[in-house]
Amino acid sequence: MTENFEDELRRALRPVPAPTGFTDRVMRALPERRTRAVTPIAAARPARPPNYWQRLRAPAALAASLMLAVLLGQQMADRNRQRDDAAGLAASQELMQALRVTSQKLDLAYQAVKNPPEAAVEENRS
Amino acid sequence: MNLKTAQPMPDDLLLRARSGDAQAFASIVQAHQGSVFSIAYRMLNNRAQAEDLAQDVFLQLYRKLDAIETLDHLGFWLRRVASNLAIDWLRRLPYTTTQPLDEGAHVAAASTDDDPLMSRELTRLLGELAPAPRAVMLLRYQEDRDVAEIAAALDMPVNTVKSHIKRSLTALRSRMIGAKLITAEELP
Repeated sequence: MTENFEDELRRALRPVPAPTGFTDRVMRALPERRTRAVTPIAAARPARPPNYWQRLRAPAALAASLMLAVLLGQQMADRNRQRDDAAGLAASQELMQALRVTSQKLDLAYQAVKNPPEAAVEENRS
Repeated sequence: MNLKTAQPMPDDLLLRARSGDAQAFASIVQAHQGSVFSIAYRMLNNRAQAEDLAQDVFLQLYRKLDAIETLDHLGFWLRRVASNLAIDWLRRLPYTTTQPLDEGAHVAAASTDDDPLMSRELTRLLGELAPAPRAVMLLRYQEDRDVAEIAAALDMPVNTVKSHIKRSLTALRSRMIGAKLITAEELP
């Protein structure tokens, strides 16, 4: 009978006891992984979130750098403009001086032509 | 000693083992070692190799404890890993003829109402089956698992499991008749 044969098979296949000391050998072979070390409270505590200034430190440094660069650029531009202004003023003063000298010379020449000396007039008559 | 079913364990045993309680894990090993060792031993037909394989199963369990959900799942997981490790082990070996069972297996499994000669012969013939059908037969008749669970444990279709059981029973019966340990009347 099939059932008899299957029962016979079940009897033949009764579980075999593990060798003596098997559990101890398994336990000795276990790695240390699962033994969880006690974590110090300080280490277990989550890191404090950075405060307002710490969070703004990098953007503030960047902004300060940019502002410094802008100010320096502006200062250099002002200095260049002042130098150019000074040079322009000097040139203008030189030009005015030249014009004044020229004007004086022209006045003298005009006066000389308009009021010639007496000797020159007599010579012309003769 | 009845090793067929694991002793009922407290619900928190698994939790304690997970949290690193070595004593709890030892209790789990103690409760399941018979089943795991028997699968390994009847698959490999070698006591020393079976112990190595069973130890490997429990070391894997130790690493995977967090994935075990319940005690039922634990039993299923152990049978599954033991069977598949044994099949892999046998497939890695170069082809050899069936190794005889070590001395002692039939002694340990024998009981007063057994026919020792028949039990020994059945065990020997089972060892001649290919690894996959051997695992199927062990889970069916040693571990008393149903076809669906065997299919899940060995990752094979239910029909394949049924086919392995049918063919293996026929082959075993034929060999037993050939050895004159059963008569033709016992055939279905």
